[in-house]
Amino acid sequence: MPDISSSDERPEVATAVASEPVVNRPKRLASPTQRRGETLLLLGPCALYLIVFSVYPLVASLGRSFMDYNQRENTWTWVGFRNYSELFHSHEFANTIQNTLTLTFAGVAIQVVLGTALALFFNQQLRGATIVRGIIVLPMLLTPIVVGLMWRALLNPEWGLLNWVGVKLGFGYIGWLSDPSLAIWTLVIVDSWQWTPFVFVIVYARLQALPHEVFEAGSVDGANWFQRTLYLTLPLLMPAIVFAAVFRAIDAFRTFDLVYGLTNGGPVQATSTLSFEAFQNGFEFQRYGYASAVSYVMVIAAAVGITVLFKVVKVRRVDLAT
Amino acid sequence: MSTRVFGRIVSYIVLVLIAIIGAAPFIYLLILSFKSRLDIIIEVPPTLHFNWATIKENYSTVIDEGHYLTYVKNSIIVTGIATTIGLVLGVPAAYAFSRLRFRGSDTWSSTILSFRFMPPVAVAIPIFLMIHWVGLANTATGLILPYIAFTLPLVVWIMIGFFDEIPREIDEAAMIDGLTRPQILFKVLLPLVRPGIIVAATFGVIFIWNEFLVGLYIISQQDKETIPIAASSLLTVESPIEWNIAATVGILTVIPILLFSIVVQRYIVRGITAGAVRQ
Repeated sequence: MPDISSSDERPEVATAVASEPVVNRPKRLASPTQRRGETLLLLGPCALYLIVFSVYPLVASLGRSFMDYNQRENTWTWVGFRNYSELFHSHEFANTIQNTLTLTFAGVAIQVVLGTALALFFNQQLRGATIVRGIIVLPMLLTPIVVGLMWRALLNPEWGLLNWVGVKLGFGYIGWLSDPSLAIWTLVIVDSWQWTPFVFVIVYARLQALPHEVFEAGSVDGANWFQRTLYLTLPLLMPAIVFAAVFRAIDAFRTFDLVYGLTNGGPVQATSTLSFEAFQNGFEFQRYGYASAVSYVMVIAAAVGITVLFKVVKVRRVDLAT
Repeated sequence: MSTRVFGRIVSYIVLVLIAIIGAAPFIYLLILSFKSRLDIIIEVPPTLHFNWATIKENYSTVIDEGHYLTYVKNSIIVTGIATTIGLVLGVPAAYAFSRLRFRGSDTWSSTILSFRFMPPVAVAIPIFLMIHWVGLANTATGLILPYIAFTLPLVVWIMIGFFDEIPREIDEAAMIDGLTRPQILFKVLLPLVRPGIIVAATFGVIFIWNEFLVGLYIISQQDKETIPIAASSLLTVESPIEWNIAATVGILTVIPILLFSIVVQRYIVRGITAGAVRQ
């Protein structure tokens, strides 16, 4: 295997550990310099790697979002805010934002409601439920291209199973992927098929961890299932639900592969998301500068989402500490 | 009493429906992969019968003529190496974040974790240009290098949670015995966080196995493609004409990851809930 990094990094860690002399230190704390050395040893390789392969590309993207790439001469020219002003005046970009927000908010809302409902459903111990739980976790492990393929088959206008069912049930023929106003909702449905299990797994784990006494007390007080769920269970599940929702929203916001596999952005850009727009402009049209500007709009929005998420995680950590 | 029985029956019907919704797309694709090109179009809805000659033809077209095994081999090499290096770099970092208080440690850990949520397109173009510039396009290394970077935040994110669960007293006792931090990590803690390492590895493997946005333009030579890259070139053409072959490619693409996920199923659930439900 001609792999540079594997021969580089592994021995580095190994020899570093071996060369550390075993000294008997009676004190519990190492000296500050030694501690700094240890921190550097543990953290340095990871940090260095990410600086080269994550920080640098992000900074480079920012820089290139102010430039234009000339493919014929292979040169970059500084154009200031032109890419940004172009995209903010572009009708297509507005449409892309709308699609991305639909997918992020409508999609995640559906997934949170269904995922929580599933968690509550599986909380009643049914025989065979373990197998079904195993089945519904599978969609989120799949290559999105194949998810796209599966659903393009199911929704095929001529012979797809779902259209056949639709006709039998009297809905008639539905242009799931060909009707521009419907296609984005098809994307929402397929995304929900794949990712509702994610919300389910998180909320269900939280539900399993809740102390039984709470529910017993509720039953003794004469509350029925509906009241117990509404006033006891859901508030207790809220931290997990919020976490799953924010996590999912950040992921849905950057959806690329499902669009690529299911609709390829069409019909006529009706399902193009920000990621897809950046991808198309960058890799298909070689408009690297413009694509970088689109992706930087995403980076900034993602940063906001991440800040919110970490606030949620912080809250959880404080919960644990007390 | 009868309402309770009725409720149970309804619950089981719902359970079966959930199973159908979850599994139907797989089964449908599987059935399509057993059909001839013509049967898919005329047989609506498709019925399950095994025409071995057709099945053999579909699968041998993909496996023999489509070089399926080459893609599997490429995927295994890239996934295996990138995940391993990701763990070697990420586990010590997670340990440091869990145990050591140093200047800016919170900022550092949030920065690394936030890469987990960065849109891949934002780094895809510079990485693509970088890999081409150093001449690693169309090599396994060219894929492995960026994939390690994508795995690291996952590994660190998951492992911090597992290290946090181990009482600090263990570290302190080892330090009294004169062990340094790296020694504590490698000799004492690694065996204790083994479930965490399996969880992190599982997620690294699934992520890298499925990745193709960055890979798509780094690899343009067919014999170097990984499974999703190869599948994407075949499956995203407007509408495939040979749906039987497309379905077979789809099934052969998901089979490895399905087998893998059955083996590591309980770790998958632990990985998803890491960070959400830290006990």
